[in-house]
Amino acid sequence: MGIEILQGIISIIVILGVAPMFAGMVNKQKAILTGRIGAPIWQPYYDLRRLFKKETINAASSSFISRISPILNLVTLITAAAMLPVGFWKPLISFNGDIILFAYILGLARFFQILAAMDIGSSFEGMGAAREATFALFAEPIFFFTIGSISFISGLTSLYDIYHSIQLTNISYEVFIVICSISVFMLAVTECSRMPVDDPNTHLELTMIHEVMILDNSGFDLFLYQYSSYIKLFIYAVLEISFFYPFSKQSYLLGIIIFISGSVGLTFVLGIVETITSRYRMKNIPQYLLFATAIGILNLLIYTFTK
Amino acid sequence: MKLLEVQNNQLFNIDAIHFLGKDEFRNTVAVLMQNGNRMIALTPIDKSDPQKIIAVLSDSSSSMIGVVGGDFSKGKLEFESWANDFPQTHYFECELSENYGYVPVNHPWLRPVRKQNVILGNKPYQFFKLEGEEIHEVAVGPIHAGVIEPGHFRFQCHGELVYNLEINLGYQHRGVEKLFLQSSPNQQIILSESIAGDTTIGHTFAHCNAIECLSHTQLSLRAEVVRTIASEIERIAMHLSGLGGIANDIGFALPASSYGRLRTLAINSLASICGSRSGRGLFIYGGVRFDLNDEIINTVVNNLKIVQNDVRQVNEYLFSSVGALSRLEETGIVKKDLAQNVGLVGLAARSSGLEEDARIHFPYSAYRYNPISMITLSTGDVFARARLRALEIDEALRFIFDQIENLPQGEIKSDIGNVTANSGAISIIEGWRGEIAHIVFTDEKRNLLNYKIKDPSFNNWYGLSLALRETAISDFPLCNKSFDLSYAGHDL
Repeated sequence: MGIEILQGIISIIVILGVAPMFAGMVNKQKAILTGRIGAPIWQPYYDLRRLFKKETINAASSSFISRISPILNLVTLITAAAMLPVGFWKPLISFNGDIILFAYILGLARFFQILAAMDIGSSFEGMGAAREATFALFAEPIFFFTIGSISFISGLTSLYDIYHSIQLTNISYEVFIVICSISVFMLAVTECSRMPVDDPNTHLELTMIHEVMILDNSGFDLFLYQYSSYIKLFIYAVLEISFFYPFSKQSYLLGIIIFISGSVGLTFVLGIVETITSRYRMKNIPQYLLFATAIGILNLLIYTFTK
Repeated sequence: MKLLEVQNNQLFNIDAIHFLGKDEFRNTVAVLMQNGNRMIALTPIDKSDPQKIIAVLSDSSSSMIGVVGGDFSKGKLEFESWANDFPQTHYFECELSENYGYVPVNHPWLRPVRKQNVILGNKPYQFFKLEGEEIHEVAVGPIHAGVIEPGHFRFQCHGELVYNLEINLGYQHRGVEKLFLQSSPNQQIILSESIAGDTTIGHTFAHCNAIECLSHTQLSLRAEVVRTIASEIERIAMHLSGLGGIANDIGFALPASSYGRLRTLAINSLASICGSRSGRGLFIYGGVRFDLNDEIINTVVNNLKIVQNDVRQVNEYLFSSVGALSRLEETGIVKKDLAQNVGLVGLAARSSGLEEDARIHFPYSAYRYNPISMITLSTGDVFARARLRALEIDEALRFIFDQIENLPQGEIKSDIGNVTANSGAISIIEGWRGEIAHIVFTDEKRNLLNYKIKDPSFNNWYGLSLALRETAISDFPLCNKSFDLSYAGHDL
């Protein structure tokens, strides 16, 4: 029991520590692919340190929502991170039904971020909040149709159990995992406001989705938001990597190798996708998200007909 | 009709202008516009005596420029506005009203052009506002999230859909026209280089043409060819940067960085000629400061060959990408008749299907002997404006290689005389963005009476507002980049 808690604590520390580097690696990949040298992969840490030291200035029209939202954001994301397995270690928080908690604790973070964006009273932020809320509506079914379908098939409702119970006895399971990983990737792209849904590098306030909501935040508050967004990206990366665990034997070393190589591999995929795709027109984004949902539904169909 | 007809860069005496009474002036200009002329300027001859104004109108079909004078010394500074019938005059009337206190009667939308808090007519200007429960207003700028030039944009939106965009500029007003009157000729050329940083050669070209015309200076053919080569290199460089910007705005990283790399080659070619990547210091009155020797020609040709080869591949990649096309096509459409009514010029006009190119309609310098082809597209959307850039790059490259191969011999600089007294000259050139006009008048003592500059952005900002109608607000940066207008050139 004691050793499990220790493993859980190490897992969460790893996720929190590595998250900014993951974002840095994606940016580095992107830079290399477009023929630039790019910022060092440690750049997000430097940025975070810079923001950490700065003073927070809040809009005069903002209320307490703006002040509690950044910290709530970070706390909820750390809680979500504590539910994810690193390698074959049991996460800190794991119980039957934790996929629901996982989905809605991320929803809570978003809820407060949207509230805070509207709280400031700028028309931009309101616009960003409206966009975020709209696209979240389409993103939620993706999660439940993919993770939910695995849960339905395996009969388990905890993230850790689900990932580690899948037995590759039937060929359809492998198809299944490939399909799931595609739709989780699309979900990750949406939730973490990456291309082709949102452009994390744009400076154009009218086209932003996520960035525009935090346009008026500064200093330590911005640090909290930025750090949460790095963690969020890495949470989805871990969710994606976890699909590869069933391909190996249950050994700690193999788990760690999959974790590391999976993360690095995913930065390549993200880097390539962000280089060769252009952003979708905003009105086409729901179609893209519904496509990912449709993939999730496909899973259930495959299961039903190959059982 | 009593009007003075001149050609591009043709010296004329101020006394040759017929100054008509208020009503006759208005009718003459209206008839000219009815016949398809386009307004270039509405300005007094003498900045300190605003009662005598001229309207300058260009006729593309006959390559003539009409100058109509109006004398308002008797009675009030008022005239019946043309803008209701000819929307293209709207902004010119606003400018005249703002600078000299004229009142265009029945003007549909009298608004400040450059000055904030100025009272036009009799009441302070209020931004246009749509009324309605679900309408919301988004105001952007003049300070933006990125480091870009200042401009204030007001969107009247219903959800993501823009009903009206109002553009308020003037935050970079430096009083360039006034500075021209105060500075010595040596300073003027430097001033003209800094009217708009991205059109250095364009504005300097127009300025030099105007002054050389006033002083009866004949340039050697070689100097003229060097000038046009530099002007085409500027076009290539800025079109590449425009394409890069468009690719960047749709988040298409690969072409964006490739265009950026190629632009460096183009501006480095300019640097190899004159030592400045934006072409500063190349132009002097009577010619150019630097000659093209074999070494420079080699560098320029090599650079541009690489551009020619690579840009073809990058264009193919960008314009065959389904994702990019879905963003570019049918975004920000300006139809041909609308473009004509509001008097768009240059790139924006040509992508809406209007044949407007000063290099062809009002040929100047080496374009008189070495014609360039008219390229137009008809859809008027962001795609057309992007595609036209690509096509114009090809044409400019062809032109440059052609010129370099047949470079005429001769001096690169001729002596320049004194400017003629009591005269005027109109110089029109086609910058990369569109028609640039410099209009200059001298008094009896050979001093400048008025120096009027019209940047293509002055015409085209209004086109951007129209392009945004019924377009998603998230497509605004893309539309904006496809027009790629200058704030500094507009604000002067």
